[in-house]
Amino acid sequence: MKKLIVVMLALCVAGGLWAQSITLKMGDNLSDRTTTWGAVVEQINAEFKKANPGVEIVTESYPDQPYQQKIKIYATAKQLPDVFKYWSFSTLLKPLVDGGFVMELNKADFAKYGFVPGSLESNVWGGKLYGIPVSADMWVIYYNKKLFKDAGITTLPTTIEDLEALAPKFKTQGIIPMVTDGKDAWPLSITYDVLVERVNGDFSRQQAALDRKAKFTDPDFVEGARQYLKFVQSGLFQEDLMVSDYGASRNLFGQGKAAMYLMGSWEMGLAADTNFSDEFRSNVDAFKFPVLKNGKGKVDDLEAWYGGNYVISSASKYKDLDLKYLKYYAERFPGLAWERQATFPAQKVEPRPSDSPVAKKLLKILADAKKTSGTTTIDRSTPQFKEDHQNFTRELSSALITPEEFCRKLEASAEKASKQQ
Amino acid sequence: MKALFGNGRVICALVLPGLAVMVFALVVPIGFSAYYGLTDWAGFGKFHMIGLANYLEILTADPVFWRALLNALILMLVTIFIQNPAAFALAAVLSHLPARFSRLLRTVYFVPAVLSLVVITKLWVNIFNPTYGILNKVLHLIGLKSVMISWLSDPRTALGAVLWIILWQGFGWALLFYYTGLMTVPSEIEEAARVDGAGWLQAHLRVIIPFMFPVISAVIVIDVISSLRQMEMIFLSTEGGPGSLTQFVSVYLYQKAFIAGAYGYGNALSVLFVVVAVGLTLVVQRILRRNDDAQ
Amino acid sequence: MRSRFAGTSVLYLFLVILAILQLFPLLWVFDYSLLKSGDLFGPELLKLPLVPQWGNYVRAWVDGKIPRYFMNSVIVVASSVAVSALISFCLAYSITRMKWKLRPVAVATVTMGMVVPIHTTLLPNFLWFNYFGLINTHMALIIPYVAFTLSFNTLVFMGQLRTLPRSMEESAFMDGASWPRIFWSVVAPMTGPAIVTVCLMTFLNNWNEFIMAYTYLSSDELRTLPFSIIKFQGAYRSDYAIQFACMTLVAAVPLVLYFFFSKRILAGVTAGALKG
Repeated sequence: MKKLIVVMLALCVAGGLWAQSITLKMGDNLSDRTTTWGAVVEQINAEFKKANPGVEIVTESYPDQPYQQKIKIYATAKQLPDVFKYWSFSTLLKPLVDGGFVMELNKADFAKYGFVPGSLESNVWGGKLYGIPVSADMWVIYYNKKLFKDAGITTLPTTIEDLEALAPKFKTQGIIPMVTDGKDAWPLSITYDVLVERVNGDFSRQQAALDRKAKFTDPDFVEGARQYLKFVQSGLFQEDLMVSDYGASRNLFGQGKAAMYLMGSWEMGLAADTNFSDEFRSNVDAFKFPVLKNGKGKVDDLEAWYGGNYVISSASKYKDLDLKYLKYYAERFPGLAWERQATFPAQKVEPRPSDSPVAKKLLKILADAKKTSGTTTIDRSTPQFKEDHQNFTRELSSALITPEEFCRKLEASAEKASKQQ
Repeated sequence: MKALFGNGRVICALVLPGLAVMVFALVVPIGFSAYYGLTDWAGFGKFHMIGLANYLEILTADPVFWRALLNALILMLVTIFIQNPAAFALAAVLSHLPARFSRLLRTVYFVPAVLSLVVITKLWVNIFNPTYGILNKVLHLIGLKSVMISWLSDPRTALGAVLWIILWQGFGWALLFYYTGLMTVPSEIEEAARVDGAGWLQAHLRVIIPFMFPVISAVIVIDVISSLRQMEMIFLSTEGGPGSLTQFVSVYLYQKAFIAGAYGYGNALSVLFVVVAVGLTLVVQRILRRNDDAQ
Repeated sequence: MRSRFAGTSVLYLFLVILAILQLFPLLWVFDYSLLKSGDLFGPELLKLPLVPQWGNYVRAWVDGKIPRYFMNSVIVVASSVAVSALISFCLAYSITRMKWKLRPVAVATVTMGMVVPIHTTLLPNFLWFNYFGLINTHMALIIPYVAFTLSFNTLVFMGQLRTLPRSMEESAFMDGASWPRIFWSVVAPMTGPAIVTVCLMTFLNNWNEFIMAYTYLSSDELRTLPFSIIKFQGAYRSDYAIQFACMTLVAAVPLVLYFFFSKRILAGVTAGALKG
């Protein structure tokens, strides 16, 4: 009996020691932990663990869409990770803020980390800061210089008409002219945003329509939808656009099977992704989204916003530690991310001569920008409006509805959303 | 024998575990759905009771819901009127072959039925892929060089492609059910019909099919239920697209609840869906029973 | 006679072609799982793997975490098969043999369970299970797996029990045998075919289930086999050959089982179901 008690006591002590190690649960949308952004996070985590003995970090990662679903499910189950990557939007962060799931942050705590003006503000709801921005997002077109050369193309297109004219030149070579993620539809919705601006030269129209001061059935939106339909059906995109997901489309570009990739600046890391060949990586570059010949939009009107952020769960047991981690992240991330050329941070970075061509180009695109869009239309309203917008864009892309019907549907959905808010 | 078959304690012991599980995982959740279906809950945070607004919207202003039901109906009809007769005919042929050969073929035909739906879906998504998929390659080989169909995303082919995958997997089951059913048909029945001068086909139409009616109706009921149940395959291939051409209710309610942040609405969909499924199955059973009686 | 022979040959040819078509997709996946990913983009339908890339299988096995997921699947499925078979047998027995007042209610519940689409409980069960702390445990799968196979299994057992005479139980009872004894040594052995059907159907249904596993589980240590395939479609995966190798491995488990027991399965599965 005595022996048993001793053993049990020993177990209790051991258990007590065990309990001293803290496990921070984290979540993000960076499935690949060995290159680019994922590798940066792993490095930050390793450094943080070294500086804080006894702290373990467990990260759950999924691609964007499943990740967003999971976070919503965890919120429902009250099982959110302690610290997690998310998006600052009204469709994603705001419902969590409204539900009291996210810890409020102190703006002064993050003043010294060189956040680009306006980026912290994107994470403010009701006058309070709830997250720190991690990336500055711009909508650009990546291209493969070698494939352009092989197809005999020497000048980059500056108009959409020129861009569409490139399609046959690649196709005769068995190369897909352009790819993007059509399955998740948000890239399509963003592209529609850009095309509307290329028609009317005014980024504020979308917000006006959401505020019910304009209509989605106004001529500029309809013309934008016509231009969009023409663009998607011009033969530029991969045949299975509507079913190829983020990974599939990105791979087509990375493996040199597609000449252009329509995506955001966070994919700057393509040039550093060791999953792809050296030849590909040394040939990635980017150019500005072109303009319409007869449109009012200018090539330096830039669709750009601050999306990705990090937040702390208000239910976390280790809030001090979470905050410490967040500060550490804010301090280390821009430097490491730029060093690895992993993504385009929302914090000031030092340009270096050794930067990859695509990094240099993105810096230039941002510097050239005369005006910027701010958050994309889909992320300015309710989650249902976003879902509707994406579904309607899908239907338009498959020509299941006409541009006019598309606009009528958007108008109806915006009307409904305005009543809910 | 009351002591044997009326022993209260034994009955409780036998019945309780089963009923408890059913109540816990089936009845109570449907109750939950009924409650949340009356709210505008996003899945977290505050919510309001909004009465029957969700139901009203589904029934009057939600074309996707109706499209999803229509797709289930199409699947049901295709299964019953195309897959089932094909499976029956094949089963009839197999039942007349030498035993060893017949068993070998049945083993092969049933293979898709034992594979995981995830494997099957991914398999066909690859086959249907426009760039490297085998289907377009076959079309190229037989001379249709310019064909470049994106089977699962082209509005003209998407539903067909999706239905094909479901039918391909279900075929083995239908075949096996009918084969087993046919084995129970006494050989004298067919012989008697043949003696009366009926050919092979006539014998089947006039004598064997009526004899098989209970089996046929059992299979039809199973088909109705499983047509309504489709989810995984759609979830892993088209997610209901393009538009909502390949949408099914289970996928739709999942998307509503966990993607569009309309958890309350999703639950209202669940409740309506239960009602539709139960109602439809009862109707089908009644029709079949009436036919059965008429025989 | 000659035309009869020709007719038969055509029929056989047709049947064999059908069989090949049925197996071809699997052959295709297996073939390309032994090649390099790039080969997939060539014009050939099949290509002889002159230098088989077994490395694809190694990576599928390791990166797809097949051993772990496989064990999880075994745990979840074995428990749900055992529990479901046992409870449904008891339920069926009490419904067909015993006399009690609430019997119609039980029958109605069982029938309803057959008809209700599984996925309608996906949303509410998430909250409900979470309330009991079951989310992200294997119980969150075992319970619904049992619940949703219970009705079908009960109906199968009921069909079988109706065909069996009561006299055996009665004489055993006369001999003074206890209830558990009557159950195990008299009734259970007589229901062999139904037990085979029930176990196999429950196994197939649950082994292949994905949506609940996807929704209710989040820890990697708990996930079931279908997840290995999902793992390879993530954002940064480009290796089709490894995906194919993974699909082959996941498909192999039920296929091997099936070929070992095909005689039993083909005879058993539907025989029991049709009686039910």
